[in-house]
Amino acid sequence: MSTILDLHSHSEASEDSRAPLEAYLNWLKLRQTERPVNGIVLTEHRQFNRIADYRALEDKFSIIVLKASEVETDYGHMLVFGVTDEMTRRFDFSNVHLPAQEVIDEIAHMGGVVIPCHPGRPNVGLFEHYSSKPSLENVVAVEVINGGSRKGEDERSLQLAERFGYHEIGGSDSHLVSLIGLCATRFEGNVRTVEELVTQLKGGAYQPVDFRPRRKPVQPAIAVEVK
Amino acid sequence: MVDYDPNLIGRVFEVTDPVPVTAQMVTEFCEATGESGPLYTDEAAAKRGPYGTIVAPPSYAITFRNGRQFFEHIPRFGRQGFDAGKDVEFVAPIRPGDTITLSSHVKEIYEKTGRTGSMVFVVVRSTLKNQNDEIVAHVDHRFMNRP
Amino acid sequence: MSQPQRSYHDVKIGDALGPEEMFLSKDQVRAYARTTGMWVPRFTDDEGARKEGLPGMITPGNMSLALLSKLVTDWIGGSNAKLVRVGTTYRQPVLPDHIVVLQGFVTHTNDTERTAEMDIWIENEDTERLVIGTATVQFGK
Repeated sequence: MSTILDLHSHSEASEDSRAPLEAYLNWLKLRQTERPVNGIVLTEHRQFNRIADYRALEDKFSIIVLKASEVETDYGHMLVFGVTDEMTRRFDFSNVHLPAQEVIDEIAHMGGVVIPCHPGRPNVGLFEHYSSKPSLENVVAVEVINGGSRKGEDERSLQLAERFGYHEIGGSDSHLVSLIGLCATRFEGNVRTVEELVTQLKGGAYQPVDFRPRRKPVQPAIAVEVK
Repeated sequence: MVDYDPNLIGRVFEVTDPVPVTAQMVTEFCEATGESGPLYTDEAAAKRGPYGTIVAPPSYAITFRNGRQFFEHIPRFGRQGFDAGKDVEFVAPIRPGDTITLSSHVKEIYEKTGRTGSMVFVVVRSTLKNQNDEIVAHVDHRFMNRP
Repeated sequence: MSQPQRSYHDVKIGDALGPEEMFLSKDQVRAYARTTGMWVPRFTDDEGARKEGLPGMITPGNMSLALLSKLVTDWIGGSNAKLVRVGTTYRQPVLPDHIVVLQGFVTHTNDTERTAEMDIWIENEDTERLVIGTATVQFGK
């Protein structure tokens, strides 16, 4: 039985998001046909909310809600799944210059998994850092479909994944309610808890999925100036 | 981590001189933004509306600027950056004939990295009041600096 | 042209604002810059903007916010409602002399406060979101 999760999203706990969690879940319920997502993972910027308990909302909407973090390192942004108190004591998640290799290795040792996100993005993506620095060891997967990517960025992410043999995930990187679940990851197995998520991510039996509607870009030739 | 004097946060550092709002200014603002809503452009219709008079479109509130001393008081972190965004609460309409003052303070400072590299964000909250000392808007400006 | 009239109870989550396609001209941007006291090179002159490292003159963030506010006030129309909050994040420069698309969706409502929250954004010709934001509309009784 497969599970589809949006692995990258930000609620209003992230300073640049305006999306309450309940609104996210309600929107997914409304858009279930176009975005058949079983759950979301909140990956708040530079923080982890240890005490937040979303089980009541999960029950209300029958949608899985898991917690993770997006941190900033010397090799770009990374998603940390399976966050524990030990990890937040070891690394200050608010530090925007965390040492990537240490983060990847020590968090794996502590039972979590770290996945570089939007690796094709300038400055904060792995691709650019690999052009001038040694590649990182022990990278399990990278995010090759990101809902906030600009032209060419996901293509670069995919190139990186293929060159290094990384597994591939997808996530909406949503900061607005209406964008949740547009990009996600389909797991072959059952994922209901953070522990199961970490196990599956390390295992590699998953692929990114893209539910964004294919819209034709506007044709400049038919422009009519609005006075 | 970004370094700054924590006493900066919350201290009101400026109240501007009153700025008058004229009908001409509102008209020009409407033309520049393509605004044609009757509350903002049609005297007769506006008179019948909820405010009894023409009012400025809500986004007119963000056109009021801080004074020259503003940039002497807010912390700078390296190269001048850009307006990164705003959060505006519209409390009361602004009418032609009003005079508006701003008082501002630094609300928050934080650091993050993005496509263009390292950034330090300074959030300044401005409160706009009219000549009756009524609050018309709160504006949170997010300024992005590149260290 | 008649204005829309809707009550709080007419509003449904998922209701669309726009999409509105418009050609945002350099002249219109300059008019905004002039009228709001923002007559500086980055908003008025391609060469001056390039000296600041920009691709050409750009649209002031305030103007993007004004256009998105207008999207919402047009949606409100003649309803017994008002725009009470707008928040925007400027993700990419909005380049004038291009078509932009303004749109949004009602994302949640609050029965106690009689408010509707909406996502609003500006897209370029490649459907990239240049400015994103949210707005709150307060309905009267």
